[in-house]
Amino acid sequence: MDTLKLYFRSMGMLLKSQLQYPASFCMQTFAQLVMEAGEFMAVILVVDRFDRLNQWMAGDLFFFFGIMSVTFYLTEIFGRGITGAFPGMVRSGQLDTLLLRPRGVLTQVLCSAIDPRRISCIAVGTAALVIGSRMAGVRWTAPKALALGEAILLGMLLVLGLFMIEAVFCIYSVKSVELVNAITYGGRSACQYPIDIYPRSLRVLFTVIAPFAMTMHVPAAYILDKPLYGWPAWTAFVCPLAGAAVFAVMYAVFRRAMRHYRSTGS
Amino acid sequence: MAFIETHGLTKTFTVRKKREKGRLLREKTEIRALDALSFSVEKGELVGYIGPNGAGKSTTVKLLSGILTPDGGSALVDGRVPWQERRRHAAHIGVVFGQRSQLWWDVPILDSFSLLRDIYRVPEAAYKRRLDALTSALQLEPFLRTPLRLLSLGQRMRAELCGSLLHGPELLFLDEPTIGLDAVSKLALRDFLKRENAQNGTTVLLTTHDMEDIAALCSRVMVLGHGQKLFDGALNNLLARYDTSREVNVRYDGEIRLPDLPQGCAVAREGADYRISYAPAQVPTAHLLSLLQAAGPIRELTAQPQSIDRLIAAMYREMDL
Amino acid sequence: MNAYLSVFRMRRKMELQYRGAVIGGVICQMFFGLILVSLYRALYAGKPQTTPIEAVVGYVWLQQAFFRMLLASDAELLDKIRTGGIAYDLCRPLNLYGYYYARIMAQKLMGSLLRAAPMLGFACLLPRGMALPPPVSLPAFLVFLVCLALGLLCVCALENITMAFTMRTLDSRGVQAMLNLLMMTFSGNILPLTLFPDSWQKVITALPYAQLLDAPIRIYTGQYALAEAPRVLLVQGIWTLALAGSGVLLWRHNQKRLTVQGG
Repeated sequence: MDTLKLYFRSMGMLLKSQLQYPASFCMQTFAQLVMEAGEFMAVILVVDRFDRLNQWMAGDLFFFFGIMSVTFYLTEIFGRGITGAFPGMVRSGQLDTLLLRPRGVLTQVLCSAIDPRRISCIAVGTAALVIGSRMAGVRWTAPKALALGEAILLGMLLVLGLFMIEAVFCIYSVKSVELVNAITYGGRSACQYPIDIYPRSLRVLFTVIAPFAMTMHVPAAYILDKPLYGWPAWTAFVCPLAGAAVFAVMYAVFRRAMRHYRSTGS
Repeated sequence: MAFIETHGLTKTFTVRKKREKGRLLREKTEIRALDALSFSVEKGELVGYIGPNGAGKSTTVKLLSGILTPDGGSALVDGRVPWQERRRHAAHIGVVFGQRSQLWWDVPILDSFSLLRDIYRVPEAAYKRRLDALTSALQLEPFLRTPLRLLSLGQRMRAELCGSLLHGPELLFLDEPTIGLDAVSKLALRDFLKRENAQNGTTVLLTTHDMEDIAALCSRVMVLGHGQKLFDGALNNLLARYDTSREVNVRYDGEIRLPDLPQGCAVAREGADYRISYAPAQVPTAHLLSLLQAAGPIRELTAQPQSIDRLIAAMYREMDL
Repeated sequence: MNAYLSVFRMRRKMELQYRGAVIGGVICQMFFGLILVSLYRALYAGKPQTTPIEAVVGYVWLQQAFFRMLLASDAELLDKIRTGGIAYDLCRPLNLYGYYYARIMAQKLMGSLLRAAPMLGFACLLPRGMALPPPVSLPAFLVFLVCLALGLLCVCALENITMAFTMRTLDSRGVQAMLNLLMMTFSGNILPLTLFPDSWQKVITALPYAQLLDAPIRIYTGQYALAEAPRVLLVQGIWTLALAGSGVLLWRHNQKRLTVQGG
């Protein structure tokens, strides 16, 4: 509880400091909006030309796009410490400063950055979710709402966990941002579309290793009443736990790696 | 049991060299930052920690504050092994890196302080008391509502110091705290540290290149070179060992001929001024002065001690650092 | 002339220095290519189009391979403009437009040469259906190379204009994002231009963005027949001249009213 309070106080303070430069903030937020709108437009154009993707209709595809977009960018807002700022913290020695305080490293890393500009991306994602569920004629029930919330929350843990791979590389001072991007941003691009359209190898990758399909597609398919692979309804609530599992594993790896942290400078 | 005790503390870094042409793998070299370092510090001591760049000073501070894990040896600070109980340890120490900030750049420093209060879980009453005491001692009241980025370097350093003392640490590490400060700020900072040490019994380990810091603050000096302890004792003892030469400047009325001076004296002439350096151990000062006086009417005579910086440079040279 | 050449040499050195990053980038790009190819194959399985799937697959791989030609904003140069370091360049006895043109070109050329070769090699080795198909004919391939070179000239002229605009605004990130999006969308990187609605084709293929990569790729895959090549090259040439011309004018104007940022 105490940790959560600290997290939200830190976030408040960081937000306050970012808003000290309102012009720049607005500019960048707008830039983000443009980028994400472009991504969404690509999906719309695909739907315009192909009408459908296997059994998935336009509304379904928008819904899949929306759930990924909201999850991914929520993580980027609140997990900026891991998703973007970490390499800089190691390079500048800020990580040293964090280690001097009587709190967990990961807590403090998460407490030291926020990226509110992505709020506009989430607006696009939410719009896609709403439009998608309308077009697909989703009848919202309590379990479906729960499934959506769970998918987004655990999806955030998954994304955070995947970005922690980069953080771990960083601790060992291995430069491989681009390689990790294949899993994180590549996963986002690929899993904007439902998993079952991909060949086997990609399906395995995004189901078992970076389980975007488990955390987001299974519940999304359940909400759309087109269960993935015909799996029963309860899987929509159990499968997303894979996201939490990835996070747990990466958290353990991260802690181990921190023991080998060698600091910078003299 | 001393407050800080280290035995054979060793830390090695592997550095990857740039890949040479035609080689598939990069060569690695090992750099021994600390080589079996042992020392102890009593509670309430104010210890200066000097040595040339790369001697291992910062590594020591990082090990003792729990950022790094050593490859060998042991260290106990107030009964704790820093790298094994990092979080518990961190609550009892304060660290200031002169070139690094732990406060938040764009927010008023008071906000930074109150976030630090939450991070260190300082009870409200204790925080209030401590903040009042520190802000008045460091003369921070006028800037409490100013964002850090708008403060001058001296004000910023005072704010950093306040931030790292809010939780009342028993041990304070200062890593080059006076770097880049103007003379007034330096003096104020030294005064504050002296008082903090005297009043609260805070143990201070001070890393610096500024010998005046050491002279003003520290009763004890440790010299580090190549990861090893080269000297440990009072500053005066250290200086006595290297303080082997003195300088005298004389100006005479009118032209004179300087007599032959005994061996061990060196003379440099600039117009009417003579600069004579000598070793008091070989040539007693009284003897030299009588010789000079006999040469003619002296208009001006000044004797100078060697600057500490020069002494340290001489010492580093002699120790081959 | 030597100054321009040394810009290229510098760039090659820099790219080679960050070999690790290049290799990582290439692998990442290959992965994105695989995902996109799989996606379009799935889409085609449901509803085949007039554009054959092979053309789309080829389109994806060539886009991925020459990705660096499109988006490679020179962070160092942008920084220079923001901080006022550009004043140094103004002191050099160089034509500013030419100097920056060379700089941009060096970055794009060296960046894509280094990446395209392994990417295309990899794309050829893939199983049928996923792999980069061979060019429709040898003449088409030769025209493709010419067309690609023209595309490079064109994109450098385009980017130089962006730079000139950046110099006039303090915080250009919003404008830059807008321009980047236009670039990525209408050069066919986000979605092959061939898959845009048919009614849009006339307009989007006439835009300068389509001249960079879309036009050469369409020649490679046979979407543009060889007979159309002269027209395609002509459009490319006209755009290149127009963009370079307005770029020169812009820089001349900039230099006159130059208020170097940051004093």
